[in-house]
Amino acid sequence: MEDLANFSVEYAQKKGAKYAEARVENTSTTGIVLKNGNLEASTFSTYDGLGMRFIVQGKLGFVSTNGLDSKAKIKRLIVEAIKKTKSSKKYGEKLTLADDTAHQDKYEVKQKNNLLDIDIDEKIKWIMESEKAIKSSGVNVPARFIGYSDHMTTEHLVNSDGTAITATVPKVNMYYLLTIAENNKVTQRYSGKGGSGGWEIPESWDLNKLFTEEVVSMKTNLVKGVKTPKGIMPIVCGPEVTGIMVHESAGHPYEADRIFGREAAQAGESFITKKMVGFNIGNEKVTVVDDPVLENSYGYYKYDNEGVKARRKFLIKNGMITEFLHNRETAHHMGLESNGSSRATDYDKESIVRMSNTFMLPGKVSEDDLFKDVKKGVFIKNFMEWNIDDKRLNQKYTGAEAYLIENGELTKPVINPVLEVSTTKLYHAVDEVANNLELFSGNCGKGEPMQGIPVFMGGPSILLKGLRIK
Amino acid sequence: MNKDLAVYLLEKAQKKGADDVVVQVVKSKKSQSKFANSKISAVKTWDSSDIVLFLAKDKKVLMTSLKKFTKSDAIALLDRSFNFLKKIQPSTSYRGLAKGPFSYSKHEEYDQSIEGMNGNDIVKEGIDICKENKVRRTAGVFEDTVGENYLLTSNNVEAYERGTSVYYSVRALADKNSSGHTVAVSRNLNKLGFRDVAKRACDIAKQSLGAKKRVSGKFDVIFEPLAWANVLNTVGESASIFSVEAGLSFLEGKEGKEVGNDNVTLMDDATMKNSFGYSIFDSEGVPTQNNLLIDKGILKGFLHNTSSAERYNVKTTANAGLISPDPHALMMKEGKYSKDKMFAGIKNGIWITNVWYTRFQNYSTGDFSTIPRDGIFLIENGKIVRPLKEIRITDNVLQLLKNVTQVGKDQEQIYSWESGIPTFTPPVIVKDVNITTH
Repeated sequence: MEDLANFSVEYAQKKGAKYAEARVENTSTTGIVLKNGNLEASTFSTYDGLGMRFIVQGKLGFVSTNGLDSKAKIKRLIVEAIKKTKSSKKYGEKLTLADDTAHQDKYEVKQKNNLLDIDIDEKIKWIMESEKAIKSSGVNVPARFIGYSDHMTTEHLVNSDGTAITATVPKVNMYYLLTIAENNKVTQRYSGKGGSGGWEIPESWDLNKLFTEEVVSMKTNLVKGVKTPKGIMPIVCGPEVTGIMVHESAGHPYEADRIFGREAAQAGESFITKKMVGFNIGNEKVTVVDDPVLENSYGYYKYDNEGVKARRKFLIKNGMITEFLHNRETAHHMGLESNGSSRATDYDKESIVRMSNTFMLPGKVSEDDLFKDVKKGVFIKNFMEWNIDDKRLNQKYTGAEAYLIENGELTKPVINPVLEVSTTKLYHAVDEVANNLELFSGNCGKGEPMQGIPVFMGGPSILLKGLRIK
Repeated sequence: MNKDLAVYLLEKAQKKGADDVVVQVVKSKKSQSKFANSKISAVKTWDSSDIVLFLAKDKKVLMTSLKKFTKSDAIALLDRSFNFLKKIQPSTSYRGLAKGPFSYSKHEEYDQSIEGMNGNDIVKEGIDICKENKVRRTAGVFEDTVGENYLLTSNNVEAYERGTSVYYSVRALADKNSSGHTVAVSRNLNKLGFRDVAKRACDIAKQSLGAKKRVSGKFDVIFEPLAWANVLNTVGESASIFSVEAGLSFLEGKEGKEVGNDNVTLMDDATMKNSFGYSIFDSEGVPTQNNLLIDKGILKGFLHNTSSAERYNVKTTANAGLISPDPHALMMKEGKYSKDKMFAGIKNGIWITNVWYTRFQNYSTGDFSTIPRDGIFLIENGKIVRPLKEIRITDNVLQLLKNVTQVGKDQEQIYSWESGIPTFTPPVIVKDVNITTH
């Protein structure tokens, strides 16, 4: 397969491409879908394909196929793609990539128990633990939609600058939507888990504890929850809420392709401009990073899909904007080197600027310390509904499990507290940051066609002051 | 098209003891010209061929796909599949496949001029239209697709169709905070109408210049088709019986009951001409039909495949999905109002041209919010008085359907990044929509 990547790069160059980059990928997957305890479907598949980007006459082209048996066909597709790309003529954007060191490397995420060696019956038995936990909890959960999937991908990346990288990364993912019903009322909880590694990763999730705690706490919220008090008051957000906040309003707006308008049509742009590096966006206690090299994380990679070596990026450091997420194209626009943020979900997608594992760094105090001076406030432990506008300014988070804080103590559950806030207010409203860092998985959507890319998002619990709860 | 290999796979699977087999061969060629900042930023082409295999044995259900199209690979796949089947348990919801043979419509949505076309020409013309209309920047995509679909099942079904489609999405930006977004979709290049939608995007963008004000409270809202299609998509998704059982539907338990007012009539119909969702058969090979979902506000039924239909003692609606029935294409029946008349009747309202990021607090109740984007306008006494910014619809989908007061007479076909189910809809007015802001 590496030969095919080399062949494609060389052939594109021969046909006039000044730069060419080929990714040949092989992926094996399994999947399980449970609905109300029934095994609706099991899936497995193995597929491979080629995706390549090239620059010809300054214009960017991309071509992809899963027909790898015929070099003649690949040649024909490359020729057609180059011809079409050239035809953009004066309407085509002239593209220049920032220089980067050529890397030759081979890496693999270690697996104690290889995903491919675990039989489907073991995976099914494992996920069925969720059903057992829910049943033994005694909570009425009439609808349970639970899925599992794993992907073992080996990718050979070769470019005309001399980069050649082979990466083998296994990823596992589980999601669930639970509907809890009591006294003619219903509530719902959607969440999931993810990571990179072998079967030991899902085995570490302790499904019994996870599902028992989810349904018991949601039932308590449903049955005993009181109306949320309204008004300006201290708000403590748990790590899951901090995670979605930094993903949406400190990760996405710092994607440099949005800042330069490349995703304007769909994923949107950003309220951030390139001149805002050094701008004070929040309290000095706020530091947000994007870190792809976090071991066993769901957003893990050592080299990005342009072959740039990955590293931790400080998006906000002590309240100041410090760095954006770049690929080689956006880095060139700012006279920088890429910081390795170019990713594609599959061989058939163009790599674009993406987050990896985005989280707020923890502080020094405990979560309890955040509550202790609050006379009346709200603790939003996790959330269900959320959204943000396409410039990443106007955001909303609606709590799922949430509690009233009275005189420093969590007293009663509250129903669906709503925080609707602008980004510029949010990070200045952070008053204290706890030390309880947690990370949560998600599949982040961006691109045309849509690419749902694995990420972690997270942070510690944070105390917000001066914001309104609805 | 690998028809011979599909037949081989079917026969071998049956010989190995499968009760039900579906083999689907899908082949497509697609191009995309992506543009941003009024320049073409990438030209992409895709070529793909897939053979998907569905197997059921003793009610155990498996889906997989063939990687390489040779007989030896097919045999290896079957060996692995039957080993896999031994290790999984039966599905209590699986009841089998539709029994053929069926006869199909001879109509196909195929336009030869889309084969090998160059979408850059459309994009260039669209960029020029936007320059002439004096917006600062444009961004979007043009896509052209040629595809074939061949289906064989162990229940005497053999079906084939081919199709073409074109899709144009354009967002015009008059400045950083003022934009208009429109889409054009068609199965036939001549019917695309991309010039008109590019002009409309520019008009909305220029009209939305200078938005400073945010509002909250209850407003009568005129939803443009692009925005309303997104709401209807949630209704279509909720209409799948799989969604109902999984807790993903606000229509559960409402069959025969009022889910909207009598202005709301909604169908799922894969037989509509020039529809992005046009198809003559579903994933079991059942000929598609027009399914009335909501008739003057009353929910008539859910979308089924053969398996789910048998469990509910109804007929399949030809919406397989072998695991989950899915809508093909939605159509909201048009009303009698021109857009001018709709605007004229509004005393205190908002015109919403697009929405995004629709999320549910509770799928089973329909409590949700979505964010208007691009042009948003305050209407007073029938006139647009100013553009608005940074508002949110925080409401309930069933409540919106019950508050539809007027339905426009002109339908548009919408398919977009945010509305993946192709939808024909006119503009509508919904009264007392709850608007919130930060």
